Amino acid sequence: MNEGDPRKLLIDLILIGERQQAMTLLCRSAEAFGWRQTIFTLLEPALEDIGRRWEAEHISLAAGYLAGKIAEEVLLRAAEQEESLPEVKGPIILGNTEDDYHSLGRKLVAIFLRTGGWKVIDLGNDVLAEDFVEAAERHEAKIIGVSAMMLSTAENIAKIRNLLEKRGLSADIKLAVGGAVFKLRPELVAEVGGDGTAANAVDAPGLMARLLGEEARP
Amino acid sequence: MTSMERVLAALSGTPQPRPPFTLALSLYGARLSGCPLSRYFRDAESYGAGQQAVYDSFAPDILFSPFALPLEAEAFGSEVIFLPDYAPNVRKPAVRSAEAFLDLDMPDVDNHPSLLYLRQAIASTAARVHGEVPVCGILTAAVDLPAIVMGIDQWLETLLFDGDRAAAILTRCIDHFAALANAMLHDGAAFIAVPAMFTNPRLVFRRMIDDLILPAMARSFALVRGPIVFHHGGNPMVPFLEDYLDLPGVVGYAVDHRDPLGKARHLLGPEKLLLGNINGPALARLSPQRALAKVDDILHDRQDDYRFIFLNAGADIPLDTPPELLQAISRKITSYTGGM
Ligand code: B12
Repeated sequence: MNEGDPRKLLIDLILIGERQQAMTLLCRSAEAFGWRQTIFTLLEPALEDIGRRWEAEHISLAAGYLAGKIAEEVLLRAAEQEESLPEVKGPIILGNTEDDYHSLGRKLVAIFLRTGGWKVIDLGNDVLAEDFVEAAERHEAKIIGVSAMMLSTAENIAKIRNLLEKRGLSADIKLAVGGAVFKLRPELVAEVGGDGTAANAVDAPGLMARLLGEEARP
Repeated sequence: MTSMERVLAALSGTPQPRPPFTLALSLYGARLSGCPLSRYFRDAESYGAGQQAVYDSFAPDILFSPFALPLEAEAFGSEVIFLPDYAPNVRKPAVRSAEAFLDLDMPDVDNHPSLLYLRQAIASTAARVHGEVPVCGILTAAVDLPAIVMGIDQWLETLLFDGDRAAAILTRCIDHFAALANAMLHDGAAFIAVPAMFTNPRLVFRRMIDDLILPAMARSFALVRGPIVFHHGGNPMVPFLEDYLDLPGVVGYAVDHRDPLGKARHLLGPEKLLLGNINGPALARLSPQRALAKVDDILHDRQDDYRFIFLNAGADIPLDTPPELLQAISRKITSYTGGM
């Protein structure tokens, strides 16, 4: 354990599955420095590190899930203390594609996007292309994020791309895609008309920033 | 030599000119027989007819029961959606908490229509090939079943934060697993195959695997009255293969396309069957030449390995894979004589 460095300690605690101790560490930091500071200097850097390990497939889905739970709880507590993060970026329209009901990936993406300061409008499971595009227009969103776990449902994403094309929106609205099948078949991103993907939820904020040509928050 | 004899020869390590081969063509039978999937995955005779067509077209040495794990979840009360071009998926889990799971009635393998369908599909397939081609029964690992009965997030939540209920749920799932596996064997399956996901450190913490998951897998396998093939389930397995070697009843291990076969054999030792490993779901993305070259590489790599069975890795071969390619693969393997 890295007793001295709270950031390293937080990472270690998450990686061994110690939710309670990880929360205690974060709460102690919040008492001293406030939630906002804790999020920027402790939680986010730890999550970035976890994202890198996740991408290299060195950590488990359970560890990623735990990190998501912790991030969610921190956001909630910060909000209770009226220290919630201003949702400065976005909005992003998020949902599972038509016929897809595998919500966990999407929910994790939403949590980490919110932790990264993005406003997320989550449309849920089995969202039709029409509904994605209409929501994006209504909320003036510049990104639609779509999750799909299986090849057959991932192929439905092409309908969103076609609709964006048909309405002349492809230049204004980026299409972020993700889910288990994209990790197995990276070429699928281009095939369904995606503008980019991220291998895990922690990397999603970075992807969105890149899609908009923005820097991620330092 | 019949397929059954060929597979038995592999089981005992008897030298033969070519390895037994099969492809995951559960889904694909529907294309060959022109059956809509909503009927194919509900009507056992339609399924059997599809497997008959698979056999007539490609002559694999092993046929499969419906690869439709969500039908087991359906028997517990989950809502299933039939897709036009893929195996059914779970639309809505039966319950959303561990407590509610423990209140569920266990489905009866002798009565529930979804489970009877799986069993009768095996019987229909086996009857059509007159016992000359082994039929493999596929079922959900006891440790994975909760993911489609309560949702993968709730199952993770329970595993992480409610160890007692997780253990109680596993006991239920073990009973179901053993009942279905033994019923499948009774109905004509020569062996069963179990894709396993929550056994893999890519999904859950190592200590959870050691303390809860592997003991549950071992308990469930010990109750099965027939041979078992342990399947990688879409994740690389070789890095963790040693952890699975002591599971009771397992005669073979089916590895991922990213797993090196030589290394897998080394870890398994000489006695176990090794099954692998071209990427099935991605076959159609390869040019026929490249696909066949890969098959060739695998055959040469394994030429002295008499306990090797050629099987594609990953999920079912997708419907849009050209039958000509599958025929060419079948021809390549069945005409191979490098083993002797
Ligand atoms: C666990 C698992 C199961 C479990 C539980 C499934 C469940 N979720 O309900 C069980 C054993 C029950 C199962 C069953 C089946 N499975 Co399964 N399963 C898996 C496995 C191992 C992990 C999937 C998972 O849930 N991961 C956790 C989630 C959170 O991860 P994720 O979806 O990848 O999401 C992350 C990222 O992709 C990203 N992300 C997700 N969405 C988005 C969106 C955006 C915009 C961005 C930027 C990022 C992003 O962030 C997320 C968090 O980090 C994968 C293989 C693999 N290694 O991925 C196969 C896999 C998905 N399954 C597969 C199949 C075929 C099935 C079945 C249809 C098998 C069958 N014939 O019965 C059934 C269907 C069950 C159902 N759900 O209806 C195939 C799909 C193949 C294909 N070509 O489509 C896979 C790929 C395995 C394989 N190689 O064959 N499965």
